[in-house]
Amino acid sequence: MTAVTAPAPPARAQRPIPWTKLAWVTWRQHRVALAGVAVLLGGLAVYLLVMGLKIHSAYQAVLSCHPLTSAECLVVTRPFSNYHQTALDTGVLLLAIPALVGVFVGAPLLARELEAGTFRFAWTQGCGRLRWAAAKLSLLAITVTVAAGAFSLLFRWFYQPFLDARLDGVLAPQLFNLVGVDFAAWTLVAFSIGAIAGVLIRRTVPAMAASLAVWAGLALGTALFLRRHYQAPLVLKGSDPPGFYNNPPWVFGQWNTGPNGSVVSQQTIRNVLAHAPQSVQYSKNPNVATVYLSAHHYTQWWTYDPESRFWHFQLIEGGWLLALSLILLAATVWLVRRRAA
Amino acid sequence: MNVIETSGLGKRYGRTWALKDAALAIPAGYVVALVGPNGAGKTTLLHMSVGLTSPTTGQVTVLGGAPAGSPAALDHIAFVAQDAPLYQNLSVADMLHLTRNLNRRWDQQRAEARLNELRIPLNRKVGKLSGGQQAQLALTLAVARRPALLVLDEPLASLDPLARHDFMASLMAAVAEDGLSVVLSSHVIADLERVADYLIVLSHGRVQVAGEVEGLLAGHRMLTGPAAAADELAERFAVVHARRAGTQAHVLVRSHQAVEPVPSGWEASPVGLEELVLAYLREPGAGALPGPMAGVTQHAGIPA
Repeated sequence: MTAVTAPAPPARAQRPIPWTKLAWVTWRQHRVALAGVAVLLGGLAVYLLVMGLKIHSAYQAVLSCHPLTSAECLVVTRPFSNYHQTALDTGVLLLAIPALVGVFVGAPLLARELEAGTFRFAWTQGCGRLRWAAAKLSLLAITVTVAAGAFSLLFRWFYQPFLDARLDGVLAPQLFNLVGVDFAAWTLVAFSIGAIAGVLIRRTVPAMAASLAVWAGLALGTALFLRRHYQAPLVLKGSDPPGFYNNPPWVFGQWNTGPNGSVVSQQTIRNVLAHAPQSVQYSKNPNVATVYLSAHHYTQWWTYDPESRFWHFQLIEGGWLLALSLILLAATVWLVRRRAA
Repeated sequence: MNVIETSGLGKRYGRTWALKDAALAIPAGYVVALVGPNGAGKTTLLHMSVGLTSPTTGQVTVLGGAPAGSPAALDHIAFVAQDAPLYQNLSVADMLHLTRNLNRRWDQQRAEARLNELRIPLNRKVGKLSGGQQAQLALTLAVARRPALLVLDEPLASLDPLARHDFMASLMAAVAEDGLSVVLSSHVIADLERVADYLIVLSHGRVQVAGEVEGLLAGHRMLTGPAAAADELAERFAVVHARRAGTQAHVLVRSHQAVEPVPSGWEASPVGLEELVLAYLREPGAGALPGPMAGVTQHAGIPA
């Protein structure tokens, strides 16, 4: 029988492992994923910077051209208008970034450990699995959220000329997700969905697919159905919403009522307009048609949110996304804690 | 002090009990062999001891009373899981750095010296090491934590005979150096015969045998004699297992005094560890446990 060396008394309170050490572990194990995010965001940032400078100089040219309706100015305006479409397409592309973070950083975080069995190594170290999971999740969550926040500031700068020119409103669904606090919040929630999918599904690729599906469903559902309910929309009767051209609001409902007050179809309106004089039918000013219709007891209705609600909506959406993310991350830590080998 | 102590410990997966009513008290200072066929509950018992799995019933404490999986327990227990899972994409040096950062106790010099002895290069990726080298690396990482208890789950299962020999030599060197307690499981008893000084046999989720190897071997004898007289023998001795070969019978009996007279017509011979384990595994109803029930009744079953 071998001599026994008594272990240190287990009752003694232990200093926790310093965060810096866990930060090294997190960095060393996830540097490939983080480098992927850095390359993606860095590459796109360079593109936004280069394009942004071109857009800003094109906008300066437009602003300094007088009078704006002259033939010379039409030539000057054209590049700026062309950039607008490019910028819109770029925005659609950027909407995928949070999803990529969820799929490639969030989902593999725990799924890979569970799949490869390395959690049996990690969770039996002196650090303990609770602190291990909390450190990894919080450090990576903060990193991706801050990176996304910085990136969305750059996008805002890149897109600002089109907003200044009143070509779009920031409440528009294709822009709302990319500016303010929304982009960072959607990135954080994508990461959190990925993390909890990983610990629930325990296999990397299915967890990636699931987190993509859940995130996309949530983002789509929010943009299509939820966002308009943050505050009761304004209802407008008769003409276009105020400042439609000077301060574009987010219009998400438009319908017409007939002489007896009931809702009529677009086809009915087209039929009424078909009998209107040529001057009305081919007018470039949409108000002419509105006036003609109201003279025939047809009324146009609008529901919309004015642009002044932007920060209100941003904070509501950022707030519930942050709360959801924290709940998901806490649930992930709890699942790690009670997950049996 | 007991390195692992369980009472009424049970684990159920769905409707199956992987382990049931396990009462164990493993004293410190032993190299404990935990043997049993596949699916006997060895991994479940070890996982509960290191805090990876929580019990369905009962409890398990380690190192003199610390709850399994508690921070104090994790600090002083090193665990090498089956197939030694390590991060395949890290270099050996990074694996050391990572383990150092995850632990309060760490002996870097020791780890590097061991790897140097084993000729495992620090800059090689873990995934490029052979199976034997990965097992050795896992053992090095565990030993460098300077644990009081080292738990290994089937450390030899995936190794070739040479790697097995080297692994066991490394393990025994660490035991000699540190005097740490070791619990290792295996379904191959022969590997453990020379190193284990404490034996636990698990079978169908139950603890069948638990005790010091020396005592167990001294307390059992193989009696060879006429098959016709085998039943008579059973009246005098606690028979673990009887095997008839023609007119002869080989009967493994439990007799606590080696000096107990051998009945006439029978020949007594000492038993080996493997023989002993196999005899018990063939008779799931038989048991040899420490404490009041040991050797009192014939075919002592496990307390229900």
